[in-house]
Amino acid sequence: MSASDNSIQQAILLGNVDSISKSVNHLLHEGVAAQTILDDQLLSGMAIVGERFKRNEMFLPQVLMSAQAMQTAIDLLKPHLLKDSTALKQQTVVIGTVKGDMHDIGKNLVRIMLIGAGFEVIDLGVNVPAQRFLETAAHHGASVVCLSALLSSTMNNMKEVVDCFRGDPGLSQTKILVGGAPVSREFSKAIGADGYAPTATDAVAKVQLLCQA
Amino acid sequence: MISALQRVETARVPIGEIGGGYTDVIIKALLSADYQIGSDASFQNHLKVRQLLGADIVGARVLGPPVEVIGIHEDWRTDIYRDFWGASYTQPPDATVQLVTPIAKTPAELETWQTPDVSKFDKSLIHRWKTDTDFFVLATLNAGFDLGYELLGFERFMMWTIQARKVMHAYFEKLIQTNLKLALMSVEAGADGILIADDLAFNTGTFVDPGYLRSDYLPLLKGMVSEIKKTGVPVFLHSDGDLRSIIPDLIDCNIDVLQSCDPNANMDIPTLKQEYGRDLVFMGNIDVDLLANGTVAAVENTTRNLIRAARQGGGFILSTSNVVASYCKPENVRAMYAVAQKELT
Repeated sequence: MSASDNSIQQAILLGNVDSISKSVNHLLHEGVAAQTILDDQLLSGMAIVGERFKRNEMFLPQVLMSAQAMQTAIDLLKPHLLKDSTALKQQTVVIGTVKGDMHDIGKNLVRIMLIGAGFEVIDLGVNVPAQRFLETAAHHGASVVCLSALLSSTMNNMKEVVDCFRGDPGLSQTKILVGGAPVSREFSKAIGADGYAPTATDAVAKVQLLCQA
Repeated sequence: MISALQRVETARVPIGEIGGGYTDVIIKALLSADYQIGSDASFQNHLKVRQLLGADIVGARVLGPPVEVIGIHEDWRTDIYRDFWGASYTQPPDATVQLVTPIAKTPAELETWQTPDVSKFDKSLIHRWKTDTDFFVLATLNAGFDLGYELLGFERFMMWTIQARKVMHAYFEKLIQTNLKLALMSVEAGADGILIADDLAFNTGTFVDPGYLRSDYLPLLKGMVSEIKKTGVPVFLHSDGDLRSIIPDLIDCNIDVLQSCDPNANMDIPTLKQEYGRDLVFMGNIDVDLLANGTVAAVENTTRNLIRAARQGGGFILSTSNVVASYCKPENVRAMYAVAQKELT
Protein backbone atom coordinates (compact mmCIF):
# COMPACT_ATOMS: atom_id res chain seq x y z
CA MET A 1 0.00 0.00 0.00
CA SER A 2 1.33 3.45 -0.87
CA ALA A 3 0.18 7.02 -0.74
CA SER A 4 -0.84 6.73 -4.36
CA ASP A 5 -3.18 3.76 -4.03
CA ASN A 6 -6.80 4.54 -3.42
CA SER A 7 -7.67 2.08 -0.66
CA ILE A 8 -8.64 4.90 1.70
CA GLN A 9 -10.81 6.52 -0.93
CA GLN A 10 -12.50 3.16 -1.50
CA ALA A 11 -13.02 2.71 2.24
CA ILE A 12 -14.67 6.13 2.33
CA LEU A 13 -16.98 5.26 -0.52
CA LEU A 14 -17.92 1.96 1.11
CA GLY A 15 -18.09 3.46 4.59
CA ASN A 16 -15.74 0.76 5.85
CA VAL A 17 -14.44 1.83 9.26
CA ASP A 18 -12.18 -1.21 9.83
CA SER A 19 -10.53 -0.94 6.45
CA ILE A 20 -9.94 2.80 6.73
CA SER A 21 -8.32 2.46 10.16
CA LYS A 22 -5.91 -0.17 8.86
CA SER A 23 -5.06 1.83 5.74
CA VAL A 24 -4.52 5.12 7.55
CA ASN A 25 -2.35 3.50 10.22
CA HIS A 26 -0.36 1.72 7.57
CA LEU A 27 0.35 4.91 5.61
CA LEU A 28 1.28 6.81 8.76
CA HIS A 29 3.65 3.97 9.67
CA GLU A 30 5.17 4.22 6.18
CA GLY A 31 5.91 7.88 6.84
CA VAL A 32 3.26 9.44 4.60
CA ALA A 33 2.36 12.91 5.92
CA ALA A 34 -1.04 13.15 7.59
CA GLN A 35 -1.86 16.19 5.44
CA THR A 36 -1.15 14.17 2.29
CA ILE A 37 -3.47 11.38 3.42
CA LEU A 38 -6.14 13.95 4.22
CA ASP A 39 -5.83 15.84 0.93
CA ASP A 40 -5.17 13.04 -1.51
CA GLN A 41 -7.44 10.35 -0.18
CA LEU A 42 -9.98 11.47 2.40
CA LEU A 43 -11.10 14.77 0.94
CA SER A 44 -11.17 13.43 -2.60
CA GLY A 45 -13.17 10.43 -1.36
CA MET A 46 -15.74 12.60 0.35
CA ALA A 47 -15.91 14.87 -2.70
CA ILE A 48 -16.97 11.82 -4.71
CA VAL A 49 -19.53 10.97 -2.03
CA GLY A 50 -20.92 14.50 -2.27
CA GLU A 51 -21.19 14.30 -6.03
CA ARG A 52 -22.84 10.88 -5.98
CA PHE A 53 -25.30 12.05 -3.34
CA LYS A 54 -26.18 15.06 -5.45
CA ARG A 55 -26.83 12.79 -8.44
CA ASN A 56 -28.96 10.38 -6.32
CA GLU A 57 -26.38 7.64 -6.84
CA MET A 58 -25.72 7.50 -3.10
CA PHE A 59 -28.35 7.97 -0.41
CA LEU A 60 -28.39 9.06 3.19
CA PRO A 61 -27.46 5.71 4.78
CA GLN A 62 -24.41 5.38 2.53
CA VAL A 63 -23.41 9.01 3.12
CA LEU A 64 -23.69 8.52 6.87
CA MET A 65 -21.51 5.41 6.66
CA SER A 66 -18.93 7.31 4.59
CA ALA A 67 -18.97 10.16 7.10
CA GLN A 68 -18.41 7.70 9.93
CA ALA A 69 -15.40 6.29 8.11
CA MET A 70 -14.14 9.81 7.42
CA GLN A 71 -14.46 10.75 11.08
CA THR A 72 -12.57 7.61 12.11
CA ALA A 73 -9.73 8.55 9.76
CA ILE A 74 -9.65 12.17 10.92
CA ASP A 75 -9.48 11.05 14.55
CA LEU A 76 -6.42 8.95 13.66
CA LEU A 77 -4.79 11.79 11.73
CA LYS A 78 -5.53 14.61 14.15
CA PRO A 79 -2.59 14.11 16.54
CA HIS A 80 -0.24 14.05 13.54
CA LEU A 81 -1.80 17.10 11.93
CA LEU A 82 -1.46 19.05 15.18
CA LYS A 83 2.26 18.11 15.41
CA ASP A 84 2.94 18.97 11.77
CA SER A 85 3.67 22.69 11.53
CA THR A 86 3.36 22.56 7.73
CA ALA A 87 -0.15 21.12 7.90
CA LEU A 88 -2.88 23.51 6.88
CA LYS A 89 -5.06 24.62 9.75
CA GLN A 90 -8.61 23.39 9.35
CA GLN A 91 -11.16 26.19 9.06
CA THR A 92 -13.83 26.08 11.71
CA VAL A 93 -17.54 26.15 10.98
CA VAL A 94 -20.20 26.52 13.66
CA ILE A 95 -23.53 24.96 12.76
CA GLY A 96 -26.91 24.67 14.46
CA THR A 97 -30.68 24.74 14.09
CA VAL A 98 -32.03 28.08 15.29
CA LYS A 99 -34.09 28.65 18.42
CA GLY A 100 -37.56 27.16 18.45
CA ASP A 101 -36.76 24.49 15.88
CA MET A 102 -35.90 20.89 16.80
CA HIS A 103 -35.36 19.59 13.27
CA ASP A 104 -31.89 18.31 12.59
CA ILE A 105 -31.89 16.08 9.52
CA GLY A 106 -30.77 18.78 7.10
CA LYS A 107 -28.40 20.34 9.59
CA ASN A 108 -26.79 16.98 10.32
CA LEU A 109 -26.38 16.26 6.65
CA VAL A 110 -24.59 19.58 6.14
CA ARG A 111 -22.38 18.84 9.17
CA ILE A 112 -21.44 15.46 7.71
CA MET A 113 -20.63 16.91 4.31
CA LEU A 114 -18.57 19.72 5.87
CA ILE A 115 -16.53 17.26 7.92
CA GLY A 116 -16.08 15.32 4.73
CA ALA A 117 -14.77 18.44 3.04
CA GLY A 118 -12.13 18.85 5.74
CA PHE A 119 -13.69 21.50 7.96
CA GLU A 120 -13.57 21.45 11.72
CA VAL A 121 -17.27 21.53 12.58
CA ILE A 122 -18.74 22.60 15.91
CA ASP A 123 -22.33 21.34 15.98
CA LEU A 124 -24.48 23.17 18.52
CA GLY A 125 -27.48 20.91 17.92
CA VAL A 126 -31.04 22.14 17.76
CA ASN A 127 -33.02 24.98 19.37
CA VAL A 128 -29.89 27.13 19.62
CA PRO A 129 -30.28 30.70 20.94
CA ALA A 130 -28.54 33.51 19.03
CA GLN A 131 -26.15 34.25 21.86
CA ARG A 132 -24.82 30.70 21.83
CA PHE A 133 -23.90 30.96 18.14
CA LEU A 134 -22.08 34.20 18.95
CA GLU A 135 -20.16 32.86 21.94
CA THR A 136 -19.15 29.65 20.17
CA ALA A 137 -18.02 31.44 17.02
CA ALA A 138 -15.91 33.82 19.14
CA HIS A 139 -14.43 31.03 21.23
CA HIS A 140 -13.41 28.90 18.24
CA GLY A 141 -12.56 31.68 15.82
CA ALA A 142 -15.11 30.34 13.35
CA SER A 143 -14.81 31.32 9.71
CA VAL A 144 -18.43 30.56 8.90
CA VAL A 145 -21.63 30.07 10.89
CA CYS A 146 -24.34 27.88 9.32
CA LEU A 147 -27.95 28.33 10.43
CA SER A 148 -30.68 25.79 9.74
CA ALA A 149 -34.48 25.97 10.09
CA LEU A 150 -37.27 23.79 8.78
CA LEU A 151 -40.26 25.91 9.71
CA SER A 152 -41.48 29.19 8.31
CA SER A 153 -42.05 30.33 11.86
CA THR A 154 -38.55 29.56 13.12
CA MET A 155 -36.63 30.76 10.08
CA ASN A 156 -37.39 34.28 11.25
CA ASN A 157 -35.15 33.56 14.26
CA MET A 158 -32.22 33.49 11.81
CA LYS A 159 -32.46 37.27 11.57
CA GLU A 160 -31.86 37.62 15.29
CA VAL A 161 -28.66 35.59 14.94
CA VAL A 162 -27.47 37.66 11.99
CA ASP A 163 -28.27 40.89 13.84
CA CYS A 164 -26.32 39.70 16.90
CA PHE A 165 -23.24 39.04 14.78
CA ARG A 166 -23.51 42.28 12.84
CA GLY A 167 -23.87 44.22 16.07
CA ASP A 168 -20.76 42.71 17.65
CA PRO A 169 -17.62 44.66 16.67
CA GLY A 170 -15.41 41.57 16.94
CA LEU A 171 -17.68 39.28 14.93
CA SER A 172 -19.49 41.54 12.51
CA GLN A 173 -17.47 40.19 9.57
CA THR A 174 -18.21 36.51 10.36
CA LYS A 175 -19.76 34.88 7.34
CA ILE A 176 -23.25 33.48 7.86
CA LEU A 177 -24.84 30.85 5.64
CA VAL A 178 -28.53 29.93 5.95
CA GLY A 179 -30.49 26.92 4.73
CA GLY A 180 -33.58 24.79 5.27
CA ALA A 181 -36.78 24.00 3.42
CA PRO A 182 -38.56 27.39 3.69
CA VAL A 183 -35.40 29.48 3.27
CA SER A 184 -34.70 31.22 -0.03
CA ARG A 185 -32.00 33.37 -1.55
CA GLU A 186 -34.30 36.39 -1.20
CA PHE A 187 -34.84 35.64 2.47
CA SER A 188 -31.12 35.29 3.10
CA LYS A 189 -30.50 38.68 1.47
CA ALA A 190 -33.37 40.28 3.38
CA ILE A 191 -31.94 39.25 6.75
CA GLY A 192 -28.38 40.21 5.83
CA ALA A 193 -26.87 36.70 5.66
CA ASP A 194 -23.85 36.11 3.40
CA GLY A 195 -25.27 33.16 1.56
CA TYR A 196 -27.98 30.58 1.10
CA ALA A 197 -27.64 26.91 0.25
CA PRO A 198 -30.61 24.87 -1.00
CA THR A 199 -28.91 21.48 -0.46
CA ALA A 200 -26.15 19.99 1.68
CA THR A 201 -23.75 19.73 -1.23
CA ASP A 202 -24.42 23.34 -2.14
CA ALA A 203 -23.72 24.25 1.48
CA VAL A 204 -20.20 22.82 1.27
CA ALA A 205 -19.46 24.74 -1.93
CA LYS A 206 -20.84 27.94 -0.39
CA VAL A 207 -18.81 27.52 2.80
CA GLN A 208 -15.68 26.98 0.73
CA LEU A 209 -16.42 30.16 -1.21
CA LEU A 210 -17.15 32.16 1.93
CA CYS A 211 -13.86 31.00 3.46
CA GLN A 212 -12.00 32.37 0.44
CA ALA A 213 -13.87 35.68 0.44
CA MET B 1 -65.00 13.02 -2.25
CA ILE B 2 -66.31 9.73 -3.57
CA SER B 3 -66.51 11.15 -7.12
CA ALA B 4 -62.99 12.52 -6.90
CA LEU B 5 -61.75 9.11 -5.77
CA GLN B 6 -63.52 7.54 -8.78
CA ARG B 7 -61.86 10.12 -11.05
CA VAL B 8 -65.14 11.78 -11.92
CA GLU B 9 -64.99 15.55 -12.35
CA THR B 10 -67.25 17.37 -9.92
CA ALA B 11 -68.68 20.91 -9.95
CA ARG B 12 -66.42 21.80 -7.03
CA VAL B 13 -63.14 20.09 -6.19
CA PRO B 14 -63.19 18.47 -2.76
CA ILE B 15 -61.04 20.18 -0.15
CA GLY B 16 -59.77 19.42 3.32
CA GLU B 17 -56.76 18.56 5.39
CA ILE B 18 -55.27 15.34 6.68
CA GLY B 19 -54.45 14.53 10.32
CA GLY B 20 -55.36 17.20 12.86
CA GLY B 21 -55.81 19.54 9.93
CA TYR B 22 -55.72 22.88 11.66
CA THR B 23 -53.70 23.82 14.75
CA ASP B 24 -55.49 25.35 17.70
CA VAL B 25 -53.86 28.76 17.09
CA ILE B 26 -55.41 28.87 13.61
CA ILE B 27 -58.78 27.59 14.78
CA LYS B 28 -58.88 30.28 17.46
CA ALA B 29 -58.02 32.99 14.95
CA LEU B 30 -60.58 31.77 12.41
CA LEU B 31 -63.44 31.20 14.82
CA SER B 32 -62.78 34.32 16.88
CA ALA B 33 -65.78 34.82 19.23
CA ASP B 34 -67.17 31.40 18.27
CA TYR B 35 -64.11 29.62 19.68
CA GLN B 36 -65.21 27.45 22.59
CA ILE B 37 -63.42 26.48 25.78
CA GLY B 38 -64.35 23.83 28.31
CA SER B 39 -65.60 20.29 27.92
CA ASP B 40 -66.04 18.98 24.41
CA ALA B 41 -64.55 22.23 23.07
CA SER B 42 -61.94 20.52 20.87
CA PHE B 43 -64.52 18.52 18.92
CA GLN B 44 -66.85 21.52 18.58
CA ASN B 45 -64.07 23.85 17.43
CA HIS B 46 -62.79 21.37 14.87
CA LEU B 47 -66.35 20.92 13.61
CA LYS B 48 -67.04 24.66 13.38
CA VAL B 49 -63.79 25.51 11.63
CA ARG B 50 -64.47 22.91 8.94
CA GLN B 51 -68.01 24.19 8.50
CA LEU B 52 -66.71 27.76 8.30
CA LEU B 53 -64.14 26.88 5.64
CA GLY B 54 -66.36 24.46 3.77
CA ALA B 55 -64.01 21.50 4.23
CA ASP B 56 -65.10 18.03 3.15
CA ILE B 57 -62.68 15.98 5.23
CA VAL B 58 -61.89 15.37 8.87
CA GLY B 59 -58.82 13.49 10.02
CA ALA B 60 -59.02 11.41 13.20
CA ARG B 61 -56.98 8.77 15.00
CA VAL B 62 -57.46 5.74 17.18
CA LEU B 63 -56.04 7.07 20.43
CA GLY B 64 -53.46 5.28 22.54
CA PRO B 65 -53.16 5.55 26.29
CA PRO B 66 -52.01 8.93 27.67
CA VAL B 67 -48.28 9.60 27.72
CA GLU B 68 -46.48 8.97 30.99
CA VAL B 69 -44.23 11.66 32.52
CA ILE B 70 -40.98 9.97 33.53
CA GLY B 71 -38.66 12.84 34.46
CA ILE B 72 -37.40 16.36 33.84
CA HIS B 73 -34.96 17.29 31.08
CA GLU B 74 -31.68 18.56 32.56
CA ASP B 75 -31.09 21.34 30.03
CA TRP B 76 -34.57 22.61 29.40
CA ARG B 77 -36.29 21.71 32.69
CA THR B 78 -39.24 20.37 30.72
CA ASP B 79 -41.14 17.14 31.30
CA ILE B 80 -39.79 14.01 29.68
CA TYR B 81 -42.66 11.77 28.69
CA ARG B 82 -42.88 8.27 27.29
CA ASP B 83 -45.45 7.25 24.71
CA PHE B 84 -47.02 3.85 24.22
CA TRP B 85 -44.34 2.81 21.73
CA GLY B 86 -41.73 3.16 24.48
CA ALA B 87 -39.69 6.12 23.21
CA SER B 88 -39.36 9.22 25.36
CA TYR B 89 -39.56 12.84 24.29
CA THR B 90 -39.51 16.36 25.60
CA GLN B 91 -40.72 19.69 24.31
CA PRO B 92 -38.42 22.61 25.15
CA PRO B 93 -40.06 26.02 25.64
CA ASP B 94 -41.16 27.60 22.33
CA ALA B 95 -39.81 24.65 20.37
CA THR B 96 -40.92 21.47 18.72
CA VAL B 97 -40.78 18.01 20.28
CA GLN B 98 -37.43 16.20 20.53
CA LEU B 99 -36.64 12.53 21.01
CA VAL B 100 -34.83 11.93 24.31
CA THR B 101 -34.50 8.15 24.48
CA PRO B 102 -35.05 5.88 21.48
CA ILE B 103 -36.74 2.51 21.78
CA ALA B 104 -33.39 0.81 21.16
CA LYS B 105 -29.75 1.83 21.10
CA THR B 106 -28.42 -1.38 19.55
CA PRO B 107 -29.81 -3.74 16.90
CA ALA B 108 -29.92 -6.46 19.59
CA GLU B 109 -32.19 -4.27 21.71
CA LEU B 110 -34.38 -3.60 18.70
CA GLU B 111 -34.77 -7.32 18.04
CA THR B 112 -36.39 -7.81 21.42
CA TRP B 113 -38.51 -4.63 21.32
CA GLN B 114 -42.21 -5.32 21.52
CA THR B 115 -45.02 -3.32 19.99
CA PRO B 116 -47.88 -2.12 22.19
CA ASP B 117 -51.10 -4.06 22.64
CA VAL B 118 -53.57 -1.92 20.70
CA SER B 119 -56.70 -3.85 21.59
CA LYS B 120 -57.66 -1.34 24.28
CA PHE B 121 -56.97 1.77 22.20
CA ASP B 122 -59.82 4.24 21.96
CA LYS B 123 -61.58 4.52 18.61
CA SER B 124 -64.54 6.57 19.84
CA LEU B 125 -63.42 9.82 18.18
CA ILE B 126 -63.58 8.24 14.72
CA HIS B 127 -66.98 6.82 15.54
CA ARG B 128 -68.24 10.20 16.70
CA TRP B 129 -67.11 12.04 13.58
CA LYS B 130 -68.79 9.38 11.48
CA THR B 131 -72.10 9.36 13.32
CA ASP B 132 -72.42 13.08 14.21
CA THR B 133 -71.21 14.67 10.96
CA ASP B 134 -71.18 14.07 7.25
CA PHE B 135 -67.49 14.71 6.68
CA PHE B 136 -65.34 12.15 4.89
CA VAL B 137 -63.62 10.60 7.92
CA LEU B 138 -60.00 9.95 7.09
CA ALA B 139 -58.38 7.89 9.85
CA THR B 140 -54.68 8.61 10.28
CA LEU B 141 -52.00 6.14 11.28
CA ASN B 142 -48.44 5.25 10.37
CA ALA B 143 -46.66 2.35 8.75
CA GLY B 144 -43.01 1.38 9.26
CA PHE B 145 -40.69 3.97 7.80
CA ASP B 146 -41.52 7.40 9.21
CA LEU B 147 -42.57 5.99 12.58
CA GLY B 148 -39.51 3.75 12.40
CA TYR B 149 -37.07 6.64 12.40
CA GLU B 150 -39.08 8.69 14.86
CA LEU B 151 -38.75 5.92 17.44
CA LEU B 152 -35.07 5.21 16.79
CA GLY B 153 -33.68 8.60 15.82
CA PHE B 154 -33.05 9.43 12.20
CA GLU B 155 -29.33 8.75 11.84
CA ARG B 156 -29.40 5.49 13.80
CA PHE B 157 -32.30 4.30 11.68
CA MET B 158 -30.56 5.19 8.43
CA MET B 159 -27.27 3.52 9.39
CA TRP B 160 -29.03 0.35 10.53
CA THR B 161 -30.72 -0.05 7.17
CA ILE B 162 -27.22 -1.04 6.04
CA GLN B 163 -25.62 -2.34 9.23
CA ALA B 164 -28.55 -4.39 10.54
CA ARG B 165 -30.68 -5.08 7.52
CA LYS B 166 -32.46 -8.20 8.80
CA VAL B 167 -33.25 -6.59 12.14
CA MET B 168 -34.67 -3.56 10.35
CA HIS B 169 -36.82 -5.75 8.14
CA ALA B 170 -38.27 -7.45 11.21
CA TYR B 171 -38.77 -3.99 12.76
CA PHE B 172 -40.70 -2.81 9.71
CA GLU B 173 -42.86 -5.92 9.91
CA LYS B 174 -43.69 -5.30 13.57
CA LEU B 175 -44.59 -1.66 12.99
CA ILE B 176 -46.69 -2.44 9.95
CA GLN B 177 -48.58 -5.25 11.67
CA THR B 178 -49.41 -2.97 14.60
CA ASN B 179 -50.51 -0.13 12.35
CA LEU B 180 -52.59 -2.54 10.29
CA LYS B 181 -54.48 -3.44 13.47
CA LEU B 182 -55.09 0.29 14.05
CA ALA B 183 -56.33 0.65 10.48
CA LEU B 184 -58.80 -2.20 10.86
CA MET B 185 -60.01 -0.75 14.17
CA SER B 186 -60.48 2.60 12.43
CA VAL B 187 -62.59 1.07 9.66
CA GLU B 188 -64.64 -0.77 12.24
CA ALA B 189 -65.28 2.57 13.96
CA GLY B 190 -66.57 4.06 10.72
CA ALA B 191 -63.59 5.55 8.89
CA ASP B 192 -64.32 6.28 5.24
CA GLY B 193 -60.65 6.13 4.30
CA ILE B 194 -57.28 5.32 5.81
CA LEU B 195 -54.38 7.74 5.62
CA ILE B 196 -50.96 6.17 6.08
CA ALA B 197 -48.56 8.93 7.15
CA ASP B 198 -45.13 7.75 6.10
CA ASP B 199 -42.50 10.28 5.03
CA LEU B 200 -40.16 8.52 2.63
CA ALA B 201 -38.38 11.43 1.00
CA PHE B 202 -37.04 14.92 1.26
CA ASN B 203 -37.05 17.65 -1.34
CA THR B 204 -34.37 16.13 -3.57
CA GLY B 205 -35.45 12.48 -3.48
CA THR B 206 -36.01 9.45 -1.29
CA PHE B 207 -34.04 9.20 1.95
CA VAL B 208 -32.80 5.74 1.03
CA ASP B 209 -32.04 3.99 -2.23
CA PRO B 210 -35.31 3.23 -4.07
CA GLY B 211 -33.87 -0.25 -4.64
CA TYR B 212 -33.77 -0.79 -0.88
CA LEU B 213 -37.35 0.42 -0.55
CA ARG B 214 -38.41 -2.01 -3.29
CA SER B 215 -36.72 -4.99 -1.72
CA ASP B 216 -37.07 -4.39 2.01
CA TYR B 217 -39.96 -2.08 2.66
CA LEU B 218 -42.56 -1.56 -0.04
CA PRO B 219 -43.60 -5.24 -0.22
CA LEU B 220 -44.58 -4.96 3.47
CA LEU B 221 -46.45 -1.72 2.79
CA LYS B 222 -48.20 -3.40 -0.12
CA GLY B 223 -49.35 -6.19 2.19
CA MET B 224 -50.72 -3.63 4.64
CA VAL B 225 -52.58 -1.74 1.90
CA SER B 226 -53.99 -4.97 0.54
CA GLU B 227 -55.41 -5.98 3.94
CA ILE B 228 -56.95 -2.53 4.46
CA LYS B 229 -58.51 -2.54 1.01
CA LYS B 230 -60.24 -5.83 1.69
CA THR B 231 -62.52 -3.75 3.96
CA GLY B 232 -63.54 -1.62 0.98
CA VAL B 233 -62.07 1.73 2.02
CA PRO B 234 -59.56 3.72 -0.03
CA VAL B 235 -55.99 4.12 1.17
CA PHE B 236 -54.23 7.48 1.13
CA LEU B 237 -50.48 7.80 1.54
CA HIS B 238 -48.95 10.98 2.91
CA SER B 239 -45.27 11.50 2.26
CA ASP B 240 -43.37 14.73 2.03
CA GLY B 241 -40.65 15.14 -0.51
CA ASP B 242 -39.81 14.19 -4.07
CA LEU B 243 -41.30 10.74 -4.64
CA ARG B 244 -41.08 10.70 -8.41
CA SER B 245 -38.56 7.85 -8.48
CA ILE B 246 -40.98 5.52 -6.69
CA ILE B 247 -44.44 6.58 -7.87
CA PRO B 248 -44.79 3.45 -10.06
CA ASP B 249 -43.91 1.39 -6.98
CA LEU B 250 -46.56 3.17 -4.92
CA ILE B 251 -49.07 2.43 -7.66
CA ASP B 252 -47.97 -1.21 -7.47
CA CYS B 253 -48.71 -1.05 -3.72
CA ASN B 254 -52.33 -0.21 -4.69
CA ILE B 255 -52.30 3.18 -2.97
CA ASP B 256 -55.39 5.13 -4.08
CA VAL B 257 -54.42 8.69 -3.16
CA LEU B 258 -51.01 10.32 -2.84
CA GLN B 259 -51.11 13.29 -0.49
CA SER B 260 -48.67 16.14 0.06
CA CYS B 261 -47.35 16.79 -3.45
CA ASP B 262 -45.18 19.60 -2.20
CA PRO B 263 -44.38 22.04 -5.00
CA ASN B 264 -40.99 22.68 -3.33
CA ALA B 265 -40.15 19.03 -4.03
CA ASN B 266 -41.05 19.15 -7.72
CA MET B 267 -44.33 17.33 -7.06
CA ASP B 268 -46.59 19.37 -9.31
CA ILE B 269 -50.05 17.79 -9.41
CA PRO B 270 -51.05 18.82 -12.97
CA THR B 271 -47.78 17.32 -14.26
CA LEU B 272 -48.12 14.18 -12.13
CA LYS B 273 -51.71 13.72 -13.26
CA GLN B 274 -50.64 13.65 -16.89
CA GLU B 275 -48.33 10.71 -16.24
CA TYR B 276 -50.04 8.84 -13.42
CA GLY B 277 -53.61 10.19 -13.30
CA ARG B 278 -55.10 6.92 -14.50
CA ASP B 279 -53.67 5.05 -11.52
CA LEU B 280 -53.51 7.57 -8.69
CA VAL B 281 -55.58 10.36 -7.22
CA PHE B 282 -53.49 13.34 -6.10
CA MET B 283 -54.13 15.52 -3.07
CA GLY B 284 -52.31 18.59 -1.77
CA ASN B 285 -49.99 20.95 -3.63
CA ILE B 286 -50.66 24.18 -1.72
CA ASP B 287 -47.37 25.17 -0.11
CA VAL B 288 -47.67 25.72 3.65
CA ASP B 289 -44.98 28.38 3.37
CA LEU B 290 -47.15 30.28 0.91
CA LEU B 291 -49.92 30.29 3.51
CA ALA B 292 -47.37 31.49 6.07
CA ASN B 293 -45.57 34.18 4.11
CA GLY B 294 -47.59 34.96 0.98
CA THR B 295 -50.21 37.59 0.36
CA VAL B 296 -53.93 36.85 0.05
CA ALA B 297 -53.70 37.66 -3.66
CA ALA B 298 -50.84 35.21 -4.15
CA VAL B 299 -52.73 32.47 -2.30
CA GLU B 300 -55.86 33.14 -4.37
CA ASN B 301 -53.94 33.05 -7.65
CA THR B 302 -52.03 29.89 -6.79
CA THR B 303 -55.16 28.09 -5.60
CA ARG B 304 -57.21 29.17 -8.62
CA ASN B 305 -54.49 28.20 -11.09
CA LEU B 306 -54.03 24.83 -9.43
CA ILE B 307 -57.74 24.02 -9.45
CA ARG B 308 -58.06 24.98 -13.10
CA ALA B 309 -55.01 22.94 -14.09
CA ALA B 310 -55.75 19.85 -11.99
CA ARG B 311 -59.52 19.43 -11.88
CA GLN B 312 -60.06 18.01 -15.34
CA GLY B 313 -61.22 14.40 -15.19
CA GLY B 314 -61.45 14.34 -11.40
CA GLY B 315 -58.81 12.53 -9.36
CA PHE B 316 -57.78 15.70 -7.53
CA ILE B 317 -58.38 16.77 -3.93
CA LEU B 318 -57.24 20.20 -2.80
CA SER B 319 -55.29 20.54 0.44
CA THR B 320 -52.10 22.03 1.78
CA SER B 321 -48.98 19.97 1.22
CA ASN B 322 -49.02 19.11 4.92
CA VAL B 323 -51.45 20.58 7.44
CA VAL B 324 -52.45 24.15 8.26
CA ALA B 325 -49.60 24.99 10.64
CA SER B 326 -49.88 27.45 13.51
CA TYR B 327 -47.66 29.94 11.68
CA CYS B 328 -49.96 30.19 8.63
CA LYS B 329 -51.82 33.48 8.26
CA PRO B 330 -55.54 32.95 8.98
CA GLU B 331 -56.53 35.27 6.13
CA ASN B 332 -54.52 33.12 3.72
CA VAL B 333 -56.22 29.94 4.93
CA ARG B 334 -59.58 31.61 4.47
CA ALA B 335 -58.57 32.76 0.98
CA MET B 336 -57.47 29.29 -0.11
CA TYR B 337 -60.74 27.70 0.97
CA ALA B 338 -62.86 30.55 -0.40
CA VAL B 339 -61.36 30.14 -3.88
CA ALA B 340 -62.17 26.42 -3.77
CA GLN B 341 -65.81 27.24 -3.00
CA LYS B 342 -66.04 29.76 -5.85
CA GLU B 343 -64.19 27.87 -8.57
CA LEU B 344 -67.08 25.90 -9.99
CA THR B 345 -67.33 24.29 -13.39
